[in-house]
Amino acid sequence: MPEVGEILKNEVLKGDYYKVVFYVPEICKNTKPGQFVHVKIANLRDRILRRPFSICDVDVETGELTVAYKIVGEGTKVLATLEVGTVCDLMGPLGVSFTPTKDDEFPVIVAGGYGSAATHILAKQCVTKGVLLLGARSEDDLILMDKFEEANFEVRLSTNDGSVGHQGLVTELVEQIIAENTDNKKLRFYGCGPTPMLMALGKMLEDKGYECELSLDHLMCCGVGACFACVVKVKANNEDGWRYARTCNEGPVFNSKDVYYG
Amino acid sequence: MADLTTKLGSLTLKNPVMTASGTFGYGVEYADFYPLSDLGAVVVKGICMNPSHGNPTPRVAEVSSGMLNAIGLQGPGVDKFLNGEQYLPFLRKSGATTIVNIWGKSIEEYAEVAAAMDGVDGIAALEVNISCPNVKEGGVAFGTDLKMANTVISKVRAATKLPLITKLSPNVTCIADFAKTVVDAGSDMVSLINTLSGMAIDIHTRKPKIANITGGLSGPAIKPVAIKMVHDVAKAVDVPVIGMGGIMTADDAIEFLLAGADAVAVGTAIFTDPHAPIKIIEGIDEYLERHGCNSVSEIIGQVNY
Repeated sequence: MPEVGEILKNEVLKGDYYKVVFYVPEICKNTKPGQFVHVKIANLRDRILRRPFSICDVDVETGELTVAYKIVGEGTKVLATLEVGTVCDLMGPLGVSFTPTKDDEFPVIVAGGYGSAATHILAKQCVTKGVLLLGARSEDDLILMDKFEEANFEVRLSTNDGSVGHQGLVTELVEQIIAENTDNKKLRFYGCGPTPMLMALGKMLEDKGYECELSLDHLMCCGVGACFACVVKVKANNEDGWRYARTCNEGPVFNSKDVYYG
Repeated sequence: MADLTTKLGSLTLKNPVMTASGTFGYGVEYADFYPLSDLGAVVVKGICMNPSHGNPTPRVAEVSSGMLNAIGLQGPGVDKFLNGEQYLPFLRKSGATTIVNIWGKSIEEYAEVAAAMDGVDGIAALEVNISCPNVKEGGVAFGTDLKMANTVISKVRAATKLPLITKLSPNVTCIADFAKTVVDAGSDMVSLINTLSGMAIDIHTRKPKIANITGGLSGPAIKPVAIKMVHDVAKAVDVPVIGMGGIMTADDAIEFLLAGADAVAVGTAIFTDPHAPIKIIEGIDEYLERHGCNSVSEIIGQVNY
């Protein structure tokens, strides 16, 4: 499962957002939408843990795997400095993937910030073309819209500061989509983004009875379910009504009906 | 190839490298990486009587050359562990030598868990955890008081015929005293060290980096401390010693053997590289060949002063 991957490209997307391309043909062959790779970042001194990254794109023919990332800490800061030809150790693909959209369903992807990265393969593989609702603080934090347009997805944007698209929350765009659905298309939702956004989305859609999957995550160590670091609450048949589930191997994708919102 | 067979009292392992409890789940999580039977032993994550949630998140924080964790012993409970498909039945099928780490919230619970494991097919030994720094009840409360440590091990001893390993806390003034008292109480061997109590603060939010406020430090940062403690304990007791604490490479493992450990456990390194235990087994073998040793026992405690 671990594969040594040479960096073929590592470049700025915009601002603090970057894109790195690894040559890992075996991982590419097996990747399904919503899965992640666990990367041992080269040249990261005195740091022992791998970093999980959603897989943004794979090319099975060329063996190229793309990760879109933002510089948020020491790991990503060093990753951004790695030159083409540098080799990293990747484990993957890991985790539970999104359920593909059925022929009679209309996919609605709801993403916050670089949640668009984790849902891009899903959009590419959708048999019926749908819509991406992408929200962020500001225009500077919106990435990969062009990739979804290439996949024939309609893209609607929201920003907290109103710098582009609807001013407000991405969940308000969800209300809009539901209101517009006068011909009763069978909507299937997919969510990826910050936890508060996903909790709001999941709860709202659960109340309305729509199918929805959420990609949740938390600080991760092992990536394969052994250490129980990356847990989130899911509903359970016990006296508390919930249990901690590992986002690395029981997720990151969970059915919104299984998530515990209490 | 040198003879890596390791005898720990009545317990025979094919090599001296096991996994450290809490870092290898229940084995099944790593079964796709290599045959679990290639390891000296699989030591599973701590089991107590009933299912337990563990601590709130965040549960881990990375620090220089190591990590803090306060998972809080999330687990399935005895019943599910013994009968659930993904737990002991899986390990039995895998052919792994399985050591079950046990803990309790009270002395009675320790004994109850030990009794439930007694005579169960596929369990080679018990490791009694009296040193987890991250649970409020049980765990380290028993491992930092000499009398309590003696009592809990005596009760566990009376409850099972299985070989007993006591996992010792480094968060004490003199770890050798604890080794002596648990051996007096009937522990067949000791393992050390568990994590060192530690803390980290996010300077931007001014909040502790883990929800439990404090956690256990592991990784290469703690290795010199662990080597010293293994060295002390190996001199203080006549029973087998299992050494652990920051082992990343075969060189690290050999250092523990030279300090007096009869076997070693690999923990945090598995998060860096799931194959670390296998590479360490191979590396020990190469070292023995290079130094003309026929068996691993030839280097145990052979530090040159």
